[in-house]
Amino acid sequence: MRFIADLHIHSKYSRATSKDMSPESIWRWAQLKGITVIGTGDFTHPKWFKELNEKLGSSGNGLFKLKDEFKSDNVPASCKADVSFLLSAEISCIYGKNGKTRKIHSIIFVPDFTDAAKINLALSKIGNLTADGRPILGLDAKELLKITMDASPDAMLVPAHAWTPHFSVFGAASGFDSLEECYEELTPYIYAIETGLSSDPAMNRRLSALDRITLISNSDAHSPAKIGRESNIFDTEISYKAMIDALKTGKGFTGTIEFFPEEGKYHYDGHRLCEVSLSPKETIKHNGLCPVCGKKVTIGVMHRVEKLADREEGFKLKGAPSFHSIIPLPEIIAETLKVGVNSKAVDNVYQSMLYKFGNEFKILMDVPLNDIEKAGSPLLREAISRMREGRVHIAPGYDGEYGKIKIFEAVERKEIKGQETLF
Amino acid sequence: MTQIFHDLNESQRQAVTTTEGPVLVVAGPGTGKTLTIVRRIAYLIQQGAKQENILAVTFTNRAAREMKGRVNALLGSGADKIFIGTFHLLGLKIIRDNLTDEFILYNRDEQTKLVKALFKDSGMNARQAADRISRIKSFTEDSYDPSESPLVEGGIINPPLKKGLGSRCREALQREAGGFSEQIKRVYGLYQSALAKNSAFDFDDLILKPIEMFGNADSCHFETLKRVQGDIADNDNALLKKYRERFKYIIVDEYQDINPAQYRLLRLLAGSDGRICAVGDPDQAIYSFRGADVEHFLNFTKDFGGARTITLTDNYRSTGVILNASGAMIKNNLKRIDKELRPAGESGSPLNIISAPDDKAEGRIIVSEIEKRIGGTSHFKLINKKAADEFSGQSYRFSDFAVIFRTNAQARAIEEAFIESGIPYQVIGKGNSIQKKELEETVSYLRSILKPENPPIPPFAKGGLTANEEKLLTAADFYDPKAEAVTLMTMHTAKGLEFKVVFIAGVEDGLIPFTLNKEDVDIEEERRLFYVGMTRAKDELFLIHARNRFIYGQRLSPSPSTFLGELPDQFVQNRVIADKIRSREKDRQIGLF
Ligand SMILES: [Zn+2]
Ligand SMILES: [Zn+2]
Repeated sequence: MRFIADLHIHSKYSRATSKDMSPESIWRWAQLKGITVIGTGDFTHPKWFKELNEKLGSSGNGLFKLKDEFKSDNVPASCKADVSFLLSAEISCIYGKNGKTRKIHSIIFVPDFTDAAKINLALSKIGNLTADGRPILGLDAKELLKITMDASPDAMLVPAHAWTPHFSVFGAASGFDSLEECYEELTPYIYAIETGLSSDPAMNRRLSALDRITLISNSDAHSPAKIGRESNIFDTEISYKAMIDALKTGKGFTGTIEFFPEEGKYHYDGHRLCEVSLSPKETIKHNGLCPVCGKKVTIGVMHRVEKLADREEGFKLKGAPSFHSIIPLPEIIAETLKVGVNSKAVDNVYQSMLYKFGNEFKILMDVPLNDIEKAGSPLLREAISRMREGRVHIAPGYDGEYGKIKIFEAVERKEIKGQETLF
Repeated sequence: MTQIFHDLNESQRQAVTTTEGPVLVVAGPGTGKTLTIVRRIAYLIQQGAKQENILAVTFTNRAAREMKGRVNALLGSGADKIFIGTFHLLGLKIIRDNLTDEFILYNRDEQTKLVKALFKDSGMNARQAADRISRIKSFTEDSYDPSESPLVEGGIINPPLKKGLGSRCREALQREAGGFSEQIKRVYGLYQSALAKNSAFDFDDLILKPIEMFGNADSCHFETLKRVQGDIADNDNALLKKYRERFKYIIVDEYQDINPAQYRLLRLLAGSDGRICAVGDPDQAIYSFRGADVEHFLNFTKDFGGARTITLTDNYRSTGVILNASGAMIKNNLKRIDKELRPAGESGSPLNIISAPDDKAEGRIIVSEIEKRIGGTSHFKLINKKAADEFSGQSYRFSDFAVIFRTNAQARAIEEAFIESGIPYQVIGKGNSIQKKELEETVSYLRSILKPENPPIPPFAKGGLTANEEKLLTAADFYDPKAEAVTLMTMHTAKGLEFKVVFIAGVEDGLIPFTLNKEDVDIEEERRLFYVGMTRAKDELFLIHARNRFIYGQRLSPSPSTFLGELPDQFVQNRVIADKIRSREKDRQIGLF
């Protein structure tokens, strides 16, 4: 069965995370977005662990369902679907290795509460799990992998957002140049990496070292509306084991749903304070220094990939899963309406479309364009069509600043609007 | 052979090779004390000494572990016949090897519980009584020459109280000593017979029993305990003879901190020709409250005739600034052996003296300085470029940082700042940290989830120890060495450790020197404590004082420590963090004009 899974989100117990990230609202939003299996996030946090343990019931397949008494009826009938939870957590390891400060985030999946408890017990001796849903531990990332495997043979560890400059295994600021440098003899136990918002599979495939690695994508959502903004498409039975096997072998893992990588916060190089955005080539021309203030620029993902890649841009790995590049529906609507993404107007259109067609992924990827035009507008139809074909302009993100999407030039907008009938 | 002398300087080499007769090694902070001891052991072996002839006594389990590890690394495996351990472990082994009866060991809490049970109706403070018994059993209370002090007529005085007493206090003590001595004699007797009935030893017995077995004390009788001393060196006890033959080479680490009982045991073992090597630094003597006496160190050359003194002077730890500043301060002490430490490294940046509005701000300042050096700890708290550039090219880990304070009561405010930041930290010592409490709750909940399997998770230090040996472990022995964290601890706990960046918190009168809740102060010991704290730092040292502090249930407005005035100006830079409200007021004023 083909289904979509988002395996990395955060609970209300993580820093800078919406108070709304409760099991109930995650359950609801997963349906609005079209997610069948959603990571719980933060199982290392004692309070979240307790809450999950209370509110979720085992499906007997390594996944969990929200107990009926916690379900609300505020999901449009068009979106109603079964949602399974997969126990997941993210750990931030900050430590020294080979003379450098390393900061690496890792996601961990487990099939049941017992295994989660074992990992938590081991980690609680290492550091404080209460301070943050995504705890900071002074622990070698390799040691974390070892602890995870020792605690649970069925657990899986995946390096998170593997390219972000500051907190990832390949990050320019405090990562490594190869998985081997980080995980040494345990490298074979790394089966997958998370590409993160600023890179897509095509960029990752330029490293032959990653040929055996499954490239997964998740939202890393800190608020319900961000759930599923990146996710994975599986074609397996819905169970923990089938999904992990798919990640290990690639079989049954049919692809990912991705941001346009330019939209990510660290696609390009640059210096946010000076509003300087640089392509990797420009950075090299400026010797890595900001042309305005002369300080070192933050090296982005594209530059980092360029540096570690052993293949040219445009390389296609045979048999690699496909990926869909998307723009979140509210952003598209905002673009067509020329209003802010958080405005009431956007929300109205968004809700009415969900009500008509069903979940967001369906609208973005499957609903026929004619139907969209009928329900929305020619501009919306054109916008979604362009997104599906990848014909969008994006000012790349840099140094923590999200990229800026432009689907239409001003002139085009007028032309299309000219054809517009009454709304 | 080449390995034994590899990288040693001249004075270290002397300390390694001077193996005949008693030797006193004066080893200031960072002078390679452990290295020297380890090489000395290797040298002895290389010169033909048998492993079992070597006795190396350390002050803490941690020091013993480190020393053992380094000796093993140097000699290759199988150096396990060398005795390397604490005084307590040494005592435990001597007792176990010669006493057929089974016994159990009472730790401090169990000892106090026993006292409480024995005298529950007397209104006596059990903890204080236990402390007192402990001082008697470690000979601390009668270890001073009675002619020196008017306070010993009652037979008992508290040695820390001896120094610098006000006359009012002295009179009060004198009165008390007379009445209390009779009572304490009775308490002591009952306590000792209760121990015997339970086949139990307390920690003090671990030293006292061997002394007894060597015929030099009798712990059963309060009176004789004091009297039976004799000339230690001339003892011809058969068991002692056996041990003297076995331990031909004695090395004692942190000699400045031994108490009178430990001193007596050592003198018995070393005999008159004394192949004993005492290593330590009188400037780092900080345990007088436990009955330790720096005089033992200062008198070593008198106690052991023909002793040689070797002074290690090259400091490999701290910057020149840290060394010179702390050195200038400790020179204000009189009870010391004068020495000049030479920095092997760079002179470094000036010490940062920071004035914080209050104890909460103090914690935040520390956290933000750590974040600057680590370069931000989360996406939401990336440090600004300016700060990041300042420290780019340097590599820090959390274990490079330590926060040191005078008393555990300061820990809480600092802990809160760390919890707020999410930075991993560990509080070493007995204080009940917030973290420990939370951890206990979490662990017990998780254990309940794991009911059916309940995997035992042993502390890493525990492997292969007997039940009694396990009792000797302290809180500091229970941390996982794989975990890197900022260390929060008292000055007492900090001894022997080193960190790239050290923050000393609460450098204020009242705390440093410590005069809160305490009538009498040994200023020299307080200065030594501050010295120990300062010399833990390798690269950078922050001395922080708060202008307002909430501690022991009171709100205080302390002045900066008088010791800060003893640091020469050229080594320090001052920074004042303004009160938030006041700075806003200032802004408004600027706006007005
Ligand atoms: Zn992360
Ligand atoms: Zn700039």
